[in-house]
Amino acid sequence: MDKFRVLVVDDEEDFLETIVKRLRDRGLETHGVLSGEKALQFLEGQDTDVVVLDVRMPGMDGIETLKEIKKRKPGIEVIMLTGHASVESGIQGMQLGAFDYVMKPVPLDELLDKMRQAYERKVIQEEQL
Amino acid sequence: MSGPGKTDRLISYLTAILLFGAAVFLIISGNTVLGLGALCLAGLSWFTSRRLLRRQGKPDREWLLDERLLQTQKLAAMGELAAGVAHEINNPLAIIRQEAEWTGQVLRQAEIPETPQLAEVRDSLREIVQQVDRARDITAGLLNLARKREPVIQKVDLNRLIRDMAALVEKEAKASNIQVIRRLQEGLPLIESDAPLLRQVILNLLNNARQAVGKDGSITISTRQAQDRRIVITIADTGSGIPPELIRHIFDPFFTTKEPGTGTGLGLAISRGIIHSLGGDITAASRAGEGAEFTISLPLRPETGVRHAATA
Ligand SMILES: Nc1ncnc2c1ncn2[C@@H]1O[C@H](COP(=O)(O)OP(=O)(O)OP(=O)(O)O)[C@@H](O)[C@H]1O
Ligand SMILES: [Mg+2]
Repeated sequence: MDKFRVLVVDDEEDFLETIVKRLRDRGLETHGVLSGEKALQFLEGQDTDVVVLDVRMPGMDGIETLKEIKKRKPGIEVIMLTGHASVESGIQGMQLGAFDYVMKPVPLDELLDKMRQAYERKVIQEEQL
Repeated sequence: MSGPGKTDRLISYLTAILLFGAAVFLIISGNTVLGLGALCLAGLSWFTSRRLLRRQGKPDREWLLDERLLQTQKLAAMGELAAGVAHEINNPLAIIRQEAEWTGQVLRQAEIPETPQLAEVRDSLREIVQQVDRARDITAGLLNLARKREPVIQKVDLNRLIRDMAALVEKEAKASNIQVIRRLQEGLPLIESDAPLLRQVILNLLNNARQAVGKDGSITISTRQAQDRRIVITIADTGSGIPPELIRHIFDPFFTTKEPGTGTGLGLAISRGIIHSLGGDITAASRAGEGAEFTISLPLRPETGVRHAATA
């Protein structure tokens, strides 16, 4: 599988730094931003394949951000990350077109696997058009 | 929980009234085509409610056939129009919400002395916002139901998908002393299907089960490969069960026995649409008081053409 471009969105700075670094170590072109608003700004300017999105953030929360991303760039696949398991918000996220809804902490390899599948889905979808 | 016939009729009438409203609104705002469509649907709903009224006097078989036919026609028409109507209604809803919030803000800034009347106005504003959010849940559900989300077919590890979703539900279930039991057959083949859509279905079913149990009980989720090689998933619970006279309605859009505001009655309708679009089947079985069991069967890969065959 070729390399793909990733954006991680999380308001926890430490978590963000670590995960961005580790994904870069695995050879992925990875960026990180600290809020939903910044994520939308980033996506306007930069082509991205997969977004990893924290559900609970101050300001624009994950669900709200997901809605906007899917509205503006429906092709981008979004993996929701949550520290607090909530079925309702899981259903909401999946209904809004998220690729997956994953509980923290998630082993990096597992997350990578999901990201690869999300990317594959994006490619298939582009081919279908 | 109110009586079955009564709920049905009420829902049908409400749908009709809502659609009439939408029609009037659309025609006034110049969207004549959609408006006329909504009007037709409203008529159809009205007709259905009359049917249900008359149902009491009729032998079961006879009305069931009519009812089925009507239901399919209604669903087909609804699919095409729902999206349009929901879109149109979303805009005024958004404006109502904004205005209510703005009014609240103006009130705060005006520094009006605190009186019981003022508190009442604030309460009322809060209620407006809440009800708008409820209406938006409904339009969002409608949009989702109508949206022809073409499945994207990839290899799916079903057991893993189910384990993930069960883990998500488990935390909340544990808090109400509900056990989540997994009986997953090892070594299932990967299937060709749409993982995000399946996640949506499994979550919906697990959530229904959790709500039916309330507290103290269990949810058992199992997978196996049947003799015809299809994969079978069952989700069984020890909840309240479904009365026999209701069970054939549970997959209908807007059918719900939950308190207003807690359920829109679209979860199973959406789930069925998804499973059909993947070439699968979903059924429910229940004995009152003994919980319910939902069974999904999925092909190893969807046959070509099946996607268009079934959206209702
Ligand atoms: N596991 C179950 N046990 C008992 N009744 C069930 C179960 N699952 C569904 N039902 C019945 O079927 C109805 C329709 O379910 P559905 O998921 O479509 O809507 P809902 O759960 O009421 O609302 P929503 O899913 O939109 O929040 C429910 O209101 C309930 O009466
Ligand atoms: Mg439900």
